[in-house]
Amino acid sequence: MSKDITSLKKQNLTWRIFAYTVMVFYTFLTVGPLFWLTYSAFKPHIDIVKTVFAFPKSFYVENFKQAYKLGNLGIYFINSVIYAGVATTITVFLALMCGYGFAKFEYKRLSNFFYYFFIMGLLITVHSLLIPLFVLELKLGIDDTRIGVIIPYIALGLPFMVYLAKTFVEGIPESMIEAGRIDGASYLNIFWHMIVPVSLPVVTTMLIFSFLGNWNEFVLVLTLTSDAAIRSLPVGINSFAGGRSRDFGMQMAALVMGTMPMIIFYIFFHKQIKAGFAAGSVKE
Amino acid sequence: MTERSLKKASYAVLVVPAVLIYASIIIIPIIYTSVLSFTEWTGYGIPKFVGLTHYLNMIKDPRFLHGLRNNLLVVGISIFGQIPLGFVLAYILYRKLVKAADFFETMIFLPITISSVVVAILFRQIFSQQGLFTQLVRIVRDEPRFVFSMFEDKYLAIIPILFVILWMYTGTYMIIFIANLQRISPSVIEAAVIDGAKEGQILFRIIIPSMLGVLFTTFVFAISGSLRSFDLIFAMTGGGPANYTEVIAIYMYQTTFKYYNYGFGSAVSMAIVALSVGLISVVQRIFGRFEKKYS
Repeated sequence: MSKDITSLKKQNLTWRIFAYTVMVFYTFLTVGPLFWLTYSAFKPHIDIVKTVFAFPKSFYVENFKQAYKLGNLGIYFINSVIYAGVATTITVFLALMCGYGFAKFEYKRLSNFFYYFFIMGLLITVHSLLIPLFVLELKLGIDDTRIGVIIPYIALGLPFMVYLAKTFVEGIPESMIEAGRIDGASYLNIFWHMIVPVSLPVVTTMLIFSFLGNWNEFVLVLTLTSDAAIRSLPVGINSFAGGRSRDFGMQMAALVMGTMPMIIFYIFFHKQIKAGFAAGSVKE
Repeated sequence: MTERSLKKASYAVLVVPAVLIYASIIIIPIIYTSVLSFTEWTGYGIPKFVGLTHYLNMIKDPRFLHGLRNNLLVVGISIFGQIPLGFVLAYILYRKLVKAADFFETMIFLPITISSVVVAILFRQIFSQQGLFTQLVRIVRDEPRFVFSMFEDKYLAIIPILFVILWMYTGTYMIIFIANLQRISPSVIEAAVIDGAKEGQILFRIIIPSMLGVLFTTFVFAISGSLRSFDLIFAMTGGGPANYTEVIAIYMYQTTFKYYNYGFGSAVSMAIVALSVGLISVVQRIFGRFEKKYS
């Protein structure tokens, strides 16, 4: 019964037709190009140019073989997994520590100062950091290394993750932490044995959200690395945009292979991804 | 150790690592950028102080102005395209005007997972002269010789890119709106229905006023996101042809890493930050007024 409250009791027909038209049209607009991309990847170049809309006549997998080999997609995939995996884990862990510090320790003035420091970071664009980061990494000798990519990923991920963590940890009852203190647990023990387990729902959201961002990151890897062996999937795929590939079939196969991991990721985690966006925008 | 110093030490262990990384990678570099923007520097030697020269040259450069125009159009499509459209889609799903709401929601949100680079190359193909769009128009309009040529027009070249931006991000706004619509207490709407309120009255008197806060958030997202737009355009057109589709971030990238003009590049990136902060404070003012009016 309660479910029906927000729906219209007497939905008139015109409204429903309008609603269906909008939804179906927009869904088609979104999924259509991706669907076209996927089946076109199984057509040889000449067929894509001649009969744009036709389905493949046969299951032509040569595109995939060539794109995989010429584009070094295997290496790029592994690099992307390393970057997104390592950076995400560290970012979320540090952010949760920080969030606990900000939310549950009485050094409020210092915490607020640092917290607004982080929030300001949400407004800073990565482009305004490119030049100093490039110079800094050159001086430290970590340009063109994996660590030189991972550290900026962590730093850029922190503001939003700290915001999510602090907001969540503030909701954990004070009495729980006090009970832990009375039992003789240290503050760091409390973090590890109480805060982390209780925060698991938000940690999941943070992990998935942060992974998504790091996986798709482009401009930092483009600027800070030049060695093909340590570049990531988006940068690798970008090389199919240029002169290399006048072969549409191969280009599209590369795009499909580049997208597949994320589509699978989305199938499993779309609820958490939605939750991440929702959490970022809901005003308490 | 005493209890107090123990607590202090624990606090430090928890907070310092994140603050340190953040300060050294974001805060110090941004200060460095702002200082560098007043100097002439090509990467070697000591930067030479040149005052406001870069800023003055920048605002006189027609390329910068064209990039600024394109950037403002991207902000425009985000605010007047993605946000209203996202709201309409969210509202339809929220009021359960269609069945299979979950299916529609999941499909429309899908582009969020796809890398901008993939989207860029896909649409570069679609809008190429032999691409899907050309062929589609040939069939629909029965003009076998039609060729899509918007990219050749300095002022229209940005339009296909605006379309792609709309395509990519509308779903995100939809998700944000749904999450916030679901927080409106159903009993408020129920009471209004019992009192005989019409659909339009519910929308304009109850729902939209309670969405002002999130509307502000989406405006901030739209502005800061638009000024950052780089990946998509970089991979789709590279700012070309002839810089027609350039935005400020691409202009900055080109001047810095092609011509090694670090001082000038820094000035351009400071302009991006300033523009973002400036536009957001304008929006904040406007919303401040609305909030007063409604409360």
